[in-house]
Amino acid sequence: RGLKFVARKFTGRCELQRICYNNKHGARRTLKIGRRLLHLHSIHPDKVEKTIDDIMALKKINPDTNPQLSISLQASLFQIVGYRNLVAEVEKLRKEPYDCENSEHEDMLMKLWKELRPDTPLSGRISKQWCEIGFQGSDPKTDFRGMGLLGLHNLLYFAEHDKATALQMLHDSLQPKHKYMNKSEWEQKNIDKAIGYSFAIVGINITDLAYSLLVSGALKTHLYNVAPEMPSLLHFQQTFCYLMQEFHRFWIEEDPSDIMEFNRVRSKFHRRILRQLKNPDMALCPHFSASDLHLVNL
Amino acid sequence: MAAAAAGINKQGAVATMEPCVRHGRGANGSTVKVLECGVCEDVFSLQGDKVPRLLLCGHTVCHDCLTRLPLHGRAVRCPFDRQVTELGDSGVWGLKKNFALLELLERLQNGATNQSGMAEDALKGMGECIIRCDEDESHTASMYCTVCATHLCAECSQLTHSTRTLAKHRRVPLADKPHEKTLCPQHQVHAIEFVCLEEACQSGPLMCCVCKEYGKHQGHKHAVLETEANQIRASILDMAHCIRTFTEEVSEYSRKLVGIVQQIEGGEQIVEDGVGMAHTEHVPGTAESARSCVRAYFADLHETLCRQEEMALSVVDAHVRERLIWLRQQQEDMTILLSQVSTACLHCEKTLQQDDCRVVLAKQEINCLLETLQKQQHQFTELADHIQLDAGIPVTFTKDNRVHIGPKMEIRVVTLGLDGAGKTTILFKLKQDEFMQPIPTIGFNVETVEYKNLKFTIWDVGGKHKLRPLWKHYYLNTQAVVFVIDSCHRDRLMEAHSELAKLLTEKELRDALLLIFANKQDVPGAVSVEEMTELLSLHKLCCGRSWHIQGCDARSGMGLHEGLDWLSRQLVAAGVLDVA
Repeated sequence: RGLKFVARKFTGRCELQRICYNNKHGARRTLKIGRRLLHLHSIHPDKVEKTIDDIMALKKINPDTNPQLSISLQASLFQIVGYRNLVAEVEKLRKEPYDCENSEHEDMLMKLWKELRPDTPLSGRISKQWCEIGFQGSDPKTDFRGMGLLGLHNLLYFAEHDKATALQMLHDSLQPKHKYMNKSEWEQKNIDKAIGYSFAIVGINITDLAYSLLVSGALKTHLYNVAPEMPSLLHFQQTFCYLMQEFHRFWIEEDPSDIMEFNRVRSKFHRRILRQLKNPDMALCPHFSASDLHLVNL
Repeated sequence: MAAAAAGINKQGAVATMEPCVRHGRGANGSTVKVLECGVCEDVFSLQGDKVPRLLLCGHTVCHDCLTRLPLHGRAVRCPFDRQVTELGDSGVWGLKKNFALLELLERLQNGATNQSGMAEDALKGMGECIIRCDEDESHTASMYCTVCATHLCAECSQLTHSTRTLAKHRRVPLADKPHEKTLCPQHQVHAIEFVCLEEACQSGPLMCCVCKEYGKHQGHKHAVLETEANQIRASILDMAHCIRTFTEEVSEYSRKLVGIVQQIEGGEQIVEDGVGMAHTEHVPGTAESARSCVRAYFADLHETLCRQEEMALSVVDAHVRERLIWLRQQQEDMTILLSQVSTACLHCEKTLQQDDCRVVLAKQEINCLLETLQKQQHQFTELADHIQLDAGIPVTFTKDNRVHIGPKMEIRVVTLGLDGAGKTTILFKLKQDEFMQPIPTIGFNVETVEYKNLKFTIWDVGGKHKLRPLWKHYYLNTQAVVFVIDSCHRDRLMEAHSELAKLLTEKELRDALLLIFANKQDVPGAVSVEEMTELLSLHKLCCGRSWHIQGCDARSGMGLHEGLDWLSRQLVAAGVLDVA
C-alpha cells in the first residue's frame, strides 16, 4: 500500500492508469484490472459506463486529460463482465438435457448428420448409423448426458464452420493410421490399433475439456485477447474448433497404441493447453480453411 | 444259522412275547392275533413291515417301528431298556429277524387253519398224487390193467391175474395208463370227441358225435378234441416256458441285489492267487471306499490347512522380525543421539564455567555444536513424522487363507457394462460421494476407493461397442468384475446378457467374483432385481461361480456399499472384517 502511494505520488497516476498505460490491450491489461477490481465482476453490462464515471470521480481523474483511460477501462470491464455471462450461458446450455420431444433439438441432430454424412441418408432417428459418426449406440441422446445441449451445439458448429477439418477428422477416426503406413505394415500392427477414436464422443469429451477450461478461468487469457468487448458463445465455439483441431494433431503425434490411452493423451493435452494459456499473449485461434472463413467472419 | 439265532435269542424273544401273548388271550378274539409289537401294538407278520427283529439287548420290535427310532450316530436305542444296538451299513435291514418268534407265529397260524376242516383238503390233495390199489386199500397202485381198467400194485397184479385168461391182460405201468375217454353227460354211451368253437358255447364246449349232429351243438363250428387239447397243451407249455424265463429273470435280479449288497458291505472273499492257492481275502465294500474317500479328502484338507497356517505364521514371523529389527535400530540410534546431545550439553556447561577469554574462544566450537544439534533435531522431527508408533499388527485373511498384514488389503476390480449403464457415475459416486452426469468414457478411468479395510482399485472401462474387444486387456489379475446394467432400458437387456455371457466364458475371469449392479433402480418402471435375475437367467448363466446381483442407484448411492460389502465378504475370510 505504501509502495502504491509512493508510485502514485511519483508518476502522478493512479494504479488503474498505470495498468492501462503500461500494458497493451488484451489479456495482459484485462487480467490485471480484473484482479484490481474484484468487486466489480458482478455488475450488469448496462451499468458499466456509469461505474467508469464513478471510478474516475473517486480517483479524481480528469476525463478530458485522460480520454484513453475511460475507453480502455470500459473495454476491459466489458470483457470481464462478458466472461461471467458467457460462463452462465454455457452452464445453462450444459444443464439443458437433450430432449427427443423438442423439435429444435431434433433438427440440430439431423443437421449434424447431414453435415457429416451428406451422401448417406439416415435410415431412422434411432439407427446403428449413428455409430459411424462416433456415437456409442443407436440413439445419440444417451451420449449427451454429461454435456447436454452444449455438446450438440459445439459439434454442429464445428461441422458447419470447419467442415474440412471435421470431415478429415471423421475420416481419420474411421480409418486410423491407414494413410500413415503401407498395407503390410498395417496388418502387422496389433488389430487394436484398428480401433480409432470416435468422432462424436471425442467431440463431447473435448467439450468437457473446453468447459472445464472456461469454468476454471484459464480461458480468460484467450478470450480477452480475441474478443475486443464482450466474449460470446461464438468465441467459445471457435475455441472448441481450435481444441478439436489441435487435439487431432496431438493424437496423431502421440501415436497411442490404442483408444484405451485416450484419457492419458487427453490429460497431457489438457496440461499443454493450460501451459500455453499461462502466456498472457496466447490466443487459441482456429485455423479455418479459406472456404469456411467467410462463415466465421459473419 | 436261523436255528442258532433263534436259540441264542430265545430268552429275549420270550421276554418280549410275554405281555403280548397275555394281551392276545385277553382279547380272546381271533386266535391268530396273538403276537404284537410292544411299541405299535400291531400284530407281527412273517414278512414285510411288521416282521419282528431282534435288538442286541434281546428285545423284539417290528421292522416298521425300528425304522422310526431316532438314530444316534449309527446306533439305535432299545425303546424298552435304552440299550444301544449298533446298526450295520444296511441299517435296520441288517438286524436279525427273530426266527423263534417267526416259527411260533407260523405254527399258531397253521393250528388255526387246521381247526377249520383242513383235514379233508389235505386228504384230497394226497389222493391226487397217490393212487391206491383197487384190491387192497392199504397198497399203493403201480400198474394199470387196460382190460379190467383197474389200478393194481405189483403184488395184487400177480395175485388177481394169475389165471390163464387173466394173465393175458395187458398191464402197463401207471405212468403209461391211457387216458380215459370221458363220456358225454347227455348221451351216456358216447365219448366226447369234439370241441365247440362257437363264442356262445365257451362255457360248455365239449360234445360227442350226437351233440354235434343232432344235439345242442348242431351246425356249430367244431374241432377234434385231441388236436384242441394238444393245442392248449402246447400253449400251456409256452406259457410255462415264459414263466420259467420270468422266474429266472426275477431270481437273477434278486441274485444281483444280493451281489450289490455284498459289494456295498464288502467282506471275506475266496481269491486264488498266482500259484493257484486259494485263500480268503478281505474285499473292501463300496461303503468302505466311500468312507475312506471322505477321510482322505479331509486329511488332505487338514494337511493343506496346516501348510497354510504354517505359511501364514511364517509371514507374520517375518513381519515381526523385520519390524523389531527396525525398531531396535531406531532405539539404538536414539541412544546414540541422546549421548551425543548430552555430551554437547556437558561441553556447553563446561564452557560456561570457564573464564571470559576461553568462552569467547569457544564460540566457534559452540556454534558448530549447535548447528549439528539443530540438524539432528530436524532429522528427528522428520523421522518422528514417519514412524507410526502403533504396536498393532493388523491382520486380514484372504479367501484362500493367505495372511495379509497392513491396514488395507488391495483388490483389483474391473467395471464393465454397456455404454450409458452408469459405470463412471458409480465410480465417481463411490470415490467422491457426489453425483455427476459424466461424459461418455473413451478408454477408461481408474480410481482407488477405500472401503472398510479394503482398498479397491477400480478400472472403469468404456462400454462403447468398439471398445468391448479391448475389455480383455483389463481382465488380468482381476479379483472381481462389476457388471453394470441399466435397469430402465429394457430393450438393451438382451445385449447386456450376451456381453455378460461372453465375459463369463473368458479364461482369465474364471475365478473372478461377479457383482452385477442393476443400476437406476430409482427410475420409475425399472426392472426389479428379481425380474432381472429371471430375464437374464442368471442362475443358469453364473452357475458354479460366486456371483451376486445388487440393485442400486448411482444418484443417491443406494446399494453401492452393499455391493462392496458383498465383494469384501467374498474376498476376505468370514468374520475377519468385523474384528478388524
